[in-house]
Amino acid sequence: MLSTKEIKQRIRSISSIKQITRAMEMVAASRLKKVESRVLASRAYTERMHQILNHLVSSSSLETAHPCFAERAHEIPVIKIILITADKGLCGAYNNNVIQKVVKFAKEHADKTIRLVHIGKKGNLYFSKGGYSIEKYFPENVEKFGYSQVKTLASHLFNGYEAGEFGQLYIFFTKFNTVMQSFPSHIQLLPVEKGAFETKEKLYREYIFEPLADQIIEHLFPKYIETQIYQCILESLTSEYAARRVAMIAATENAGEMIDELTRSYNKARQETITKELLEVISGAEALIKG
Amino acid sequence: MAKTFKLEVVTPERVVYNDTVQSITAEGIEGSFGILADHAAMIAELQTGILTISDVNNKTVRFALDGGFMEILSNNVIVLTDTCAKEGEVNVEKAMAEKASAEKALLKAGSGVEKEKAKAALKHATTLLKLANR
Repeated sequence: MLSTKEIKQRIRSISSIKQITRAMEMVAASRLKKVESRVLASRAYTERMHQILNHLVSSSSLETAHPCFAERAHEIPVIKIILITADKGLCGAYNNNVIQKVVKFAKEHADKTIRLVHIGKKGNLYFSKGGYSIEKYFPENVEKFGYSQVKTLASHLFNGYEAGEFGQLYIFFTKFNTVMQSFPSHIQLLPVEKGAFETKEKLYREYIFEPLADQIIEHLFPKYIETQIYQCILESLTSEYAARRVAMIAATENAGEMIDELTRSYNKARQETITKELLEVISGAEALIKG
Repeated sequence: MAKTFKLEVVTPERVVYNDTVQSITAEGIEGSFGILADHAAMIAELQTGILTISDVNNKTVRFALDGGFMEILSNNVIVLTDTCAKEGEVNVEKAMAEKASAEKALLKAGSGVEKEKAKAALKHATTLLKLANR
């Protein structure tokens, strides 16, 4: 049994931890709000981009000619993966979930060379130990990773793909659904899956293209990849803050429970010492009367 | 009143404009063109330039676009662009500085890619200034 002094010390340290976790929760909540509006705005853009590309591909007959559609996985057994994780921990299973997904994917594709591109410190930390080949790591804050950086990354990847450096490009990220719910997911960015652009209705065949459709595609595809990467980063960032907020709420609650428990045992210990002292006084007095 | 149609201008950061309009003038890669209601379905690539809108109250709204794409489909027009500045919201000083640095970069630029990049930046800056000065 701890002494009252020791218990008091523990209560004090846990209260200060509770204060910190509560502050972190509030920081995460305000960041979440900001980034949530960004993710929704960007979703609007991505959806429309997809729609235009969809119409473009389904109303012209050049889809097989473009290298973005060409299936080259057998010729070039190199898979490039972009992995988006957080820079910091303390956000529950957020980092681990998406990392484990990559590990599983790598095991399933053991016959191919896997090259990793990291956005976020935690993923880089994990994979730098495991004998994986890390091609690129962006040490910038995930939050500061803006559209212009995405543009540079995308054009670099696109050139690499066209030069035949790798056969497939995947992105692993965490899709945001609600604050309590987000899913580690992955998308195949290159080659573009034809299934993604198969419209049920082939109604819009009579588009006017300006300039020619294949020239538009030439410019629209890199943009589409950019948009998707940007979208995935925002989704991940939102999920990260949501996960951190949930983790910090739980931590604050746990700290509160611990304080309650410790306060109870502190009171008990205090009561015990009082009883003991009283007993000593009474027995001393009795001895005096007898004597 | 003339027939109207819907226009959406969207960037990755926000939906800039979402309203009913009477006419649009845009700068396509192959030259500028105008759009009225009941336009045929079209997909066009836009160059860095000014998008002029005449809204339902006959008011003119202008935007500086940094390239982009436009889809016209059954009286719905979507404009996708990287960045977009509204008339009156242009930071003139910043645009001036951008123009100066782009000009410098253009002089220094050796390879084709760098030159293209500098040219694009310069064009964006001049478009912004054009929008600010009318």
